[in-house]
Amino acid sequence: MERSIQKNGLINLLVLLAVGLGGLAVARYANSLAGQVNILFLGIGVLVAATSWFQMRLEERERLEKLELDELAKSHGSSALFEARDAEVFPAQRSREQFERFFVPGFTVLLFLLQAGGAWVLWRWLSRSTTLPDVKQPITGSALFGVFFLLLFLLGRFSATIARLEHHRLLRPGASYVLLNSFLSLLVALGMVGVWAGFPKMDFYVAHVLCGLLALVAVETLVQLVLEIYRPRVKGKVERPLYESRLVGLLGQPEGLITTAAQALDYQFGFKVSETWFYRFLEQALGWLLLLQVVALVLSTSVVFIEAGEEGVLEHFGKLVTSRSPLGPGAHLKWPWPIDHVYRYRTEQIQTFTVGWAPQASEAQQKFVLWGQSHRGETNFLVASHLQLSQGVTNEVTGKRTPPVNLLTVSVPVQFQITNLLDWAYNNEDAPSLLADLGTREVVRYLVGVDMNDIMAQGRQEAARVLTERIQAAADQHTLGARIVAVDMGDLHPPVKVAPDYEKVIAANQTKQARILAARADGIRTNALSGAQATNILNKASAERTAREIGALAQAALFTNQIPAYEAAPSVYPERAFLQTFTRATANARKYLLLTTNTYDVLTFDLQESIAQSLLNLNVPAPKTN
Amino acid sequence: MKRNPLTLIIGLLLIIVFALLLFVFQVRQSQVAVVTTFGNPTRPITKPGAYLKWPWPIQKVWWFDQRVQNFEDRLTEGLTRDSFNLLTSVYVGWKVSDPAAFFPRFAGSADPIAAAEALLDQWLGTAKTAVVGRHPLGDFLTTTDNGANFIAIENEILASIQSQLRTNNFGLEIEFLGIKRLQLPESVSQSVFERMTSERKVLADRFQYEGEAEAQRIRSDAERRAAEVLANAQGQATQIKGQGEAEAAKSLKVFQQNPELASFIFRLSALEGSLKERSVLIFDQHTPPFDLFRGVSTNLLNK
Repeated sequence: MERSIQKNGLINLLVLLAVGLGGLAVARYANSLAGQVNILFLGIGVLVAATSWFQMRLEERERLEKLELDELAKSHGSSALFEARDAEVFPAQRSREQFERFFVPGFTVLLFLLQAGGAWVLWRWLSRSTTLPDVKQPITGSALFGVFFLLLFLLGRFSATIARLEHHRLLRPGASYVLLNSFLSLLVALGMVGVWAGFPKMDFYVAHVLCGLLALVAVETLVQLVLEIYRPRVKGKVERPLYESRLVGLLGQPEGLITTAAQALDYQFGFKVSETWFYRFLEQALGWLLLLQVVALVLSTSVVFIEAGEEGVLEHFGKLVTSRSPLGPGAHLKWPWPIDHVYRYRTEQIQTFTVGWAPQASEAQQKFVLWGQSHRGETNFLVASHLQLSQGVTNEVTGKRTPPVNLLTVSVPVQFQITNLLDWAYNNEDAPSLLADLGTREVVRYLVGVDMNDIMAQGRQEAARVLTERIQAAADQHTLGARIVAVDMGDLHPPVKVAPDYEKVIAANQTKQARILAARADGIRTNALSGAQATNILNKASAERTAREIGALAQAALFTNQIPAYEAAPSVYPERAFLQTFTRATANARKYLLLTTNTYDVLTFDLQESIAQSLLNLNVPAPKTN
Repeated sequence: MKRNPLTLIIGLLLIIVFALLLFVFQVRQSQVAVVTTFGNPTRPITKPGAYLKWPWPIQKVWWFDQRVQNFEDRLTEGLTRDSFNLLTSVYVGWKVSDPAAFFPRFAGSADPIAAAEALLDQWLGTAKTAVVGRHPLGDFLTTTDNGANFIAIENEILASIQSQLRTNNFGLEIEFLGIKRLQLPESVSQSVFERMTSERKVLADRFQYEGEAEAQRIRSDAERRAAEVLANAQGQATQIKGQGEAEAAKSLKVFQQNPELASFIFRLSALEGSLKERSVLIFDQHTPPFDLFRGVSTNLLNK
C-alpha cells in the first residue's frame, strides 16, 4: 500500500511537471498572460509534490528499517548491537528527522520567497504591460488548458480521495496543488474564451486574479512559518507538513467549504439544517441544476433577436446562409453556438464620418464656430488658386517662391446609410474605413480643382452636390452597399494663422461699404440743402422784385406829391427836407464837431474802441512764495 | 465503486467540447485559411465551413481575411518636377488572392497581414516618390481638367505597384488605390500662410481705398449737383430781380417832371441810407445845422 502511495505521489509530481512544461509552451504560444502566471503555480506544485514524495520515501525507508530491526531482534534477542545509539542503529529514522528538522523549514521559507517574490514580480510585470498582448489562437489555447484541467482534475480528485480515506498526510499537499492547478487551468481557459468572445482584457484580469491568489498563499505560508516557532511539540503526534497550504487545500476541494457552511448553519439554528429534505435535495441536485443551467445557456444561443433598425447575417459553420440573410428585425431560430453565428449591423441608422477635423465632444456643444479658433486634429487641405496658377508662384510681397496653392481647414461630415448588408459585410474588411477614405479622396480631389474664394463663397452648395455624387459613385464602384445621404460643406475656413487676415478683408469690405453709404448720405444732404438754398434765393429775388416794384411806385407817388410843395417853397422845402433827413440819419452816428478858427492845425482822432473799464480794473493775485 | 452519472456526463461533455475545439476549426465566409503540419503549409482552404485538423502542435491553422483590406500608407515627402516639396499618402485596397503563396512569405511574422502592409508601405513610398517627381505641382492642382490629371497620377502609382507585385508573386493583389492626403511641409506651409496674408492685405487695402475713392466721388457728384442747383437759382433770381427793376423803371418818368428835386431827394435818400450803420461824422461849424454855432464861444476858444 505504501508503495502505491509513493507511486501516486510520483505520478502527481510527473503530471504536474508535464502539465507545467506543456502549459508553458501553450501560454507562450498563445501569448496568454494568465497562462504564464499559472505556470508559477504549476512550478510551486512541482516543488511541493517533489518534497512530499521525497519525504514519503524517507518515511518508507524508516518503516522498512524498523521492520528489519524488529525481525533481527526477534531472531537474535537482546544483544549489544541494539544497545548502541539510535543514530547508529536507525540511520533512516535519523535521516527523516534531520529532513523534517532542517530541510522542511528551509524549503518552506524558500516556498514563501517564491510565492511572495513571484506575486510581486508578476504584478509589476502586469502593471508595466501598457498595451495588452494579442492573445493568439485563443480557442486552441483554451482547449489545451481545458485538457490540462481535465487531466489534473481527475488525478487530483483521485489523489485527494486516497489521501483523505487512508489518512496519507504526505499525499495531501501534492493532491491539493494538483486540484488547485486544475481549477486555475480552467480559469485560464475561460479567460482565453473571453478574449475570443470579444473581451480582450479578460486574460489580463485573470492574470491579476492569479497574482492576488499567489500573494494570499504567500501570506498564509508566512503565518504558518511564524506559528511553527511557537507550536507545542508533542512527542508521538503526527505532524502536518509545514509546507502544506490549507488555503490551497480549501480552494482545491471547495466541497470542504460547503461542509463547513453546513456545520455553521447547524450550529446557528440549533438543529440539523444539513439533514432537512431541502438541503439534501439541493446537495444532490445542485450539480444537475448547474448542468441544466449550462444546457439552457447553450440553447438560448439558438434564438436571436434582431432589434429595430438592425439587420443580421447568419453564418452556418462560418458559411453564409444566403437563403436567410439578411435577417430583419424580430426573433429568429438558429443552431446554437458555435454552429451558427449571427453578426448584427445597424442598417437603418444614419451614420457619419468626417473628412478633415472632427469636432470633439466639448467642441460639438459650443454654440459658435469661429475661424480664429484652433481645433484639435486640424489639418490643412490644398486648394487651387486661380490667381497663383495664372500669375506665377513668386510672392511679390515676401519675395519667396511659394507653391501656387492656398490652404483650407476642412470639416466635412458625410452622412451615409447601409443599403446592402451583404456587400457591406463581405466585400471589404473594414467598410466604414474604406468609405471614409473614399470620401476623403473625393474631397481632396475636388478641392485641388476649385478656387478657394469660390468654394468659400458661392461654391459651397455646388460642392456639396458634386461631392455627394462623386462619393456615391465611388462607393458604388467598390460595391460598398452604402447610400450617401448628405455631404455638409458648412465648415470650411482658412487656417487659424491666416483667418484674422481674412476677417480683416471682410472688415475692410464692410468699411468700404460704410464709407460709400456715408458719402451717399452726405450727397443726399448736400443736394437737399442746395435745393432748399435755391428756393431761398428765388424767394428772396421774388421778394426783392416785389419790394423794388412797390417801392418804385411808392416813391413815384411821393414824388408826385412833393413837386407842389417844392414849387411852392423852392428854398425852404429842400432845406427842411435836408434837415429832417439829417436829423433822422445821424441820430445813431458818433459825431465830432470842430469849432476851430485855425484851420491849419493838425487834429488827431483816436477812433479805436475803448477797452471796457471793468477789464482794466482786474485784480491779479500776488505770486506765491515759499 | 459507485459511479456518479452527473460526473460522467460532465466529464464526457467536457471531453467532447475540448476535443471539438482541438480537432475542428471553422473558416468564415470572409476568410481563407492555411493548415500547416509541423510548420509546413499542407492545405489551403478557400471555402467557408467546418474542417478537421490534428491538434496543435501537429497542425496549426492560419486564417486570413479574404475581403479587400483597406490600408493607408505613411505620409511621405517627395519633390515634384518643378521642385516643390509635397507630402502624399494613399489608401490601397488589397486582398489575399492566393493563400498558399501568401502564407510562406509572411508566416514568419506575428501578424502576417501587418507584415504584408509593411511591405506595401515600402513599395508605395518608392512608387509615390517616383510618380510625384514626374509631375509638376500644377498637375495636382489644375482647375481646368476636372481632376483628370489627379486620376492619371493615381493610376501611375497603382500601375507601378502592380508591376512589382506581378514580378514577385506574394499571393496578394491590389484592387484599387487613391490619393488620400496632399499636404505641404510645415516650413512651406508657413510661406503659403505668408503669401495668403499678403494677398489678404492687398485685398483689404483695395477695399479701403476703393471705399474712400467711391465716397469722394459720391460727395463730389453731390456738391456738383448742389452747385448746379444754386447756380440755376442765382440765375433765376437775377432774372426776377431784373424783372423787378424793369417794373420799377416804369415809374422813373414821374421823377423827370422835376429832375432837380428828384436829384435832391435821391441824394437825401442815399445820405440816409449810407448813415444807417455806425458812422463817425466830423463836422465843422460850416455844416448846417452846426453852422448855428458860428459866433458862439466854445471851450476851445476860451483856452
